[in-house]
Amino acid sequence: METIAQALRRILFFADCSEDALARTARVAHARTYAAGETVILEGYPCQAAYFIAEGNVRVSRLSLGGREQVLAQLGPGQAFNTVPAFQAHGMNHATVQALTPAILYAIPAADLRRLVGECPQLALAVLHDFAERLDHLTNLVEDLSLHTVRGRLARFLLEHAEADAARRFTQEEIAARLGTVRDMVGRTLRAFASAGLLRMDRQRIVLLDREGLE
Amino acid sequence: MENWALPEFNLLLCDRCGICVERCPAGAAEMGTDGPFIARPADCTYCALCESVCARHAISCWYEVVWGTDT
Repeated sequence: METIAQALRRILFFADCSEDALARTARVAHARTYAAGETVILEGYPCQAAYFIAEGNVRVSRLSLGGREQVLAQLGPGQAFNTVPAFQAHGMNHATVQALTPAILYAIPAADLRRLVGECPQLALAVLHDFAERLDHLTNLVEDLSLHTVRGRLARFLLEHAEADAARRFTQEEIAARLGTVRDMVGRTLRAFASAGLLRMDRQRIVLLDREGLE
Repeated sequence: MENWALPEFNLLLCDRCGICVERCPAGAAEMGTDGPFIARPADCTYCALCESVCARHAISCWYEVVWGTDT
């Protein structure tokens, strides 16, 4: 049976940690399993722990006062979430996280994580790297939401995902949440793009036809 | 009907309201003992209307974004 330390070693976040750092982390990490659709943490609640994904995928989102959901990120094995509030006094969960697939997560209580970062330089570096990537992603998202129309954001989304190495699937609702709009708007815009010959809606595929037109 | 994609129903989220069955323009969906399902796959046009009307977000019509082979 795999130990917690062995399981943590398989998580990219801990890849460069020494055996000692892993052992210290394993002593305070708790394995938790979630079914698809199950909520892991809720936005606005006190931060209890940081989470590290061993298996499965989760969706990170926030709700506006009007009830519109904005997807901030979709995370998979090796990635982490809720690390930021773990380092804030009276930290609150910044987002709601929901399992998209059956998932196995390791939860490290916030106070223990703060202590471990002080004791283990490799873990501190891993946290800094995680924060840098997170900041980069959110900066791009803010720029996208504030400077581009839904048509522009959808076109960019389609171009980026057609070029991606790993094929991923999305529902129109998921696309809407990522773009900061509503599903109906995505559906209308896709139909408009199709009418303009920029793409074709096949069964389970959005087939892009005109790169120049989308750019 | 190889690779004939159909909407996916999450019966754990579904509350059996029947709106998806009622609104399916192709008449492809029916309410079964466990919940809604596509009873006539050949009639399903994958229009994704069922996904849009489901208040519980229990239906998913998935898309992959790809380049056309002639681009």
